[in-house]
Amino acid sequence: METMIDSRMMMTDFLTALFDKLDVAGVAVMSKLPSGEKTAFTLFTGKDDIKECVPFFPAMPANAARAVSKFTRQAVPSKTVAVFLRPCELRAFTELIKIKQASFDNLLILSYDCSGVFPFQEINLSDETKLNAYRDAVSTGKNCEGIRPVCAACTRFTPQGEDIAISFVGRSTDQPLVFSFPSEKGLAAAEQLGLDVSNTVAASSAVESLAQERRSAEEELTAEVDASLSDTQGLVNVFDRCVSCHACSYVCPICYCKNCYFDSQTFEYFPESYFIRMQAKGALRFPVDRVLFHLGRLSHMGVSCVACGMCEDVCPVNIPVSQIFKTAGSKAQALFDYIPGENYDEPLPLLAYAEQELEEFED
Amino acid sequence: MDEKKEFTPSIIYGLCSWCGTGGSETAGAMHLQYADNIRPFRVPCTGAIDPVYILRALIEGADGFAVSGCHPGDCHFDSGNYRARRRIAVLKSLLDTFGLDSERVLLRWVGHGEGKRFADTVNEFNDYIKEMKKNPLAERRDT
Ligand code: SF4
Ligand code: SF4
Ligand code: SF4
Repeated sequence: METMIDSRMMMTDFLTALFDKLDVAGVAVMSKLPSGEKTAFTLFTGKDDIKECVPFFPAMPANAARAVSKFTRQAVPSKTVAVFLRPCELRAFTELIKIKQASFDNLLILSYDCSGVFPFQEINLSDETKLNAYRDAVSTGKNCEGIRPVCAACTRFTPQGEDIAISFVGRSTDQPLVFSFPSEKGLAAAEQLGLDVSNTVAASSAVESLAQERRSAEEELTAEVDASLSDTQGLVNVFDRCVSCHACSYVCPICYCKNCYFDSQTFEYFPESYFIRMQAKGALRFPVDRVLFHLGRLSHMGVSCVACGMCEDVCPVNIPVSQIFKTAGSKAQALFDYIPGENYDEPLPLLAYAEQELEEFED
Repeated sequence: MDEKKEFTPSIIYGLCSWCGTGGSETAGAMHLQYADNIRPFRVPCTGAIDPVYILRALIEGADGFAVSGCHPGDCHFDSGNYRARRRIAVLKSLLDTFGLDSERVLLRWVGHGEGKRFADTVNEFNDYIKEMKKNPLAERRDT
């Protein structure tokens, strides 16, 4: 583990220093929206709006990996851009790098051990009670009541692959930032920022207690999802309310396809084909192809699902999409001992193969 | 007649244009008999089978789905069969998660000259699916 240092720097000083000393072209970070209630992931090109930045605000209105992929995908930014990514966003970003939909060249990636977020519709900047409870939970290393189920069951809440890590769990947000620098880039940045690295601090024990709570929550979640899906009836029930809006895939950082197969002409049928299908089963429920969409989507991207929770956050009919995708995804990932987002050098399982493997799947 | 015998499963057989189809041609040339409730369809390569095709078949009424292509090392496109094996492994894992029977999907390599292996695969799988009875998902109207 990298040494953690007490920077004696508050967040605003740090953000200012990114512009002043590192001369970054921009900082991409969660910020307050003019409504004063909601937040959005925003790319700032100057330090004038720094007081609007709320990097730790517990909401994820969009998976930031998608945003960062947009401005790194085809061309590398000409100057360094600092980006804040939560651990699951960073994992999604790493998956996107593997399929050349993103690049970390000229990025300075900042991340932190994450305490989870609330469903973004359910948290506002003015929700003092909830936010106070959240702060308490962060400093003591507990799951805060009301955070999303996949967050409460997230065992990979410490980042991997970042340049600068900010220690969050077990600390108080009104104290100076505690940093570590896992990469060369991060170390160089620390030097340029003129950080005093002499003042080291110990890791907080709150991280381990949160990890423990999360592990048992994950086990419970998996058992619950498994039980709900145990047969055909369960499967049909769980997607029963689905209105087929496909919002879950539009917000998914892994579903990067410009033209999703499920929105293609393949699924625009001639009228008579409905009658043919109806005759086969005696009835046809609309919208059609709901189970096919979910299972098919899983077969495309399940091995890369980072359990970020976005799909569930946007589902208009409250289907536990990300709990299902996390559970089904992890089992598929286990076939290849694959952990999405762990290492950008590792190819996606469906784009690689070994000549001798998986023989148990042949008959 | 007992119930099992009356049930004629609906089985789709995805064959690559090279070995899989070749195997079926050899079976034909050898005048081998095999269950006629199998519906073969030809794909350029087993690696071209999106698991969505298989899912669609299983949801829309198939009781089983078999896939055959060139043996490892023989793929016309070099690695399509290895990729297919990974996709089918993922698909089977998903089917198991969702309480569907992954045994309704079969992957078996059949070489061009292996007419007997082709006919045996069809008959064996057909018998197996008969034992399993109808695919419960195929009967659902509300998917
Ligand atoms: S499927 Fe859902 S939980 Fe998984 S990566 Fe996509 S949006 Fe996130
Ligand atoms: S469901 Fe499949 S085709 Fe559609 S966006 Fe996701 S990966 Fe692409
Ligand atoms: S967001 Fe919800 S309703 Fe829309 S397609 Fe996904 S699961 Fe169905």
